[in-house]
Amino acid sequence: MTSLGQRWLIFAAVLALPVLVIVVPIGAFLVLSFARTENHQIVYDWNLANYAGFFGNWVYLGTFLGTLWLCFEVVVASLLVGYPLAWFIWRQRGARRYLLLQMAALPLFMSYIVKLYTLRAMLGLNGIVNQILVGIGILAAPSQVFLYNQRAVLITMVVIYLPYVVLPIFLTLERIPRSLLQASVDLGAGGWDTFRRVILPLSLPGTIAGAIFTFVLALGDFITPQMVGGTTGFTIGRVIWSQFGLAFNWPFGAAMAVVLMLVALLLIVAAGYAASRRRV
Amino acid sequence: MLKSRAERVVETAAFVLAAAIFVVLYAPVVVSAVFSVFETRAGRILWDTFTVRYYGTLWSNESVIDALSNTAVVALCAVLLAAVLAVGLALYAQWPGAVGRAPLTLIIYMPFLLPPIVTGLSLLVGSANAGLERGLLTVIVGHTIFVLAVAYRLVLTRLQALPPSMIEASFDCGASRWATLRYVLLPHLASAIATGALLALTLSFDETLISSFVAGDRMTLPLRLWAMMRVGFTPEINALVTLVLLVSIALALVAARLLKPAGEHEED
Repeated sequence: MTSLGQRWLIFAAVLALPVLVIVVPIGAFLVLSFARTENHQIVYDWNLANYAGFFGNWVYLGTFLGTLWLCFEVVVASLLVGYPLAWFIWRQRGARRYLLLQMAALPLFMSYIVKLYTLRAMLGLNGIVNQILVGIGILAAPSQVFLYNQRAVLITMVVIYLPYVVLPIFLTLERIPRSLLQASVDLGAGGWDTFRRVILPLSLPGTIAGAIFTFVLALGDFITPQMVGGTTGFTIGRVIWSQFGLAFNWPFGAAMAVVLMLVALLLIVAAGYAASRRRV
Repeated sequence: MLKSRAERVVETAAFVLAAAIFVVLYAPVVVSAVFSVFETRAGRILWDTFTVRYYGTLWSNESVIDALSNTAVVALCAVLLAAVLAVGLALYAQWPGAVGRAPLTLIIYMPFLLPPIVTGLSLLVGSANAGLERGLLTVIVGHTIFVLAVAYRLVLTRLQALPPSMIEASFDCGASRWATLRYVLLPHLASAIATGALLALTLSFDETLISSFVAGDRMTLPLRLWAMMRVGFTPEINALVTLVLLVSIALALVAARLLKPAGEHEED
């Protein structure tokens, strides 16, 4: 039998590489958030100036709160579109259900940057969206409101992250035993009552999980706002990214990313809690 | 069962909505394919300008070829490393004498769960502290830890499905640890490893956010596309984009086919 000491030794050996490439960098990044720059040199002196600069400056804090609000809008819009789609797929039978499910999942594997690129082409002044709206007479002339603003970021993120909402909702819908639905109908509940009192509550865990995935993904995304957001579609991700490029203030960027990470971690823990209660 | 009028209305509405969503989700493929073979002027497609020559001229574009080969190198290295790590870590997690399973799981899943901006930043800071030059090596590390969770999950699930009696039987028959690994465990895990590798390959092929932090001036394909996008739209980019989409869809379909026997689908 292996002694406890040996077992810890083996544990250390197994974990050495993952710790080196995962834990150590995250630690370095946390430490950096308490450093400062002086003449383009990073000085490690454990100060809270970066955090004070973030929470004390409305330009940054406002952008952060604005980003949280944008992510919330993305989640609400995704649920409004994604829930009915998941429900529709769930209502199908046999091979068709599986095919539609695959079709809903496949866009996850389509290149992210390519989706951005084509959505930008579609939303632009000469894009297909404007052409259709002008063609059917809703707009008199092509409009610029669909691109290079906050709304464009919202639309694009909903399209890109929609499958992350649809799949978890479908998975919880699929776990509802058929007998429960039959019981509901036998007891005299109509379609709407069955949905409101049986289907919706039982699919809530998947809905919450999907909502949180989407929120976290939207929160950390800095390329979408940059490509379709123009000057008004500024998000905290873009601000962080710029600290590592033009602004070259790594410690400040790290501090903002720590705040972002804490929000994400809080939500992931909540998602884990929702998922653990998924049992019917 | 007879359906009420209200139910039919709801079902029709859901059908229309679903159809519209699928049109939007798949529009990128159609739009880029159309733009790659027709010329456009002020947004109008000139239907009489059909040509596939941009699919040919693409291959003489050095920056594209360079990005493609970088992506291939990164994906292959990352997938290989992640597969080896995943098998090792999963075997350890299933070993009855293992300690510290919870922190192990947490560490493995962390890069996948955290926003990519945090993972990318950490690696950037970590490699800068270690004096490591940004380049393909740092991108490979980034992709490896990103796809590790997927490979680990698939291998561990398969491993848990193997009855412990199989391993005991192997030892009882006089097989060494190595022989048990080689002739019992690995064959049992082979298809899970293959599926994990394929999923990891699609993820690595597409990964942009982590790469953008650690790539330095070495470009992977998504980074090259991002740079090209800022300049504008050319039929050549559209040809490239169409190919990229078709490759990722093909990879995902193969992975889905491999995964299918594992998933159960109720028929009624």
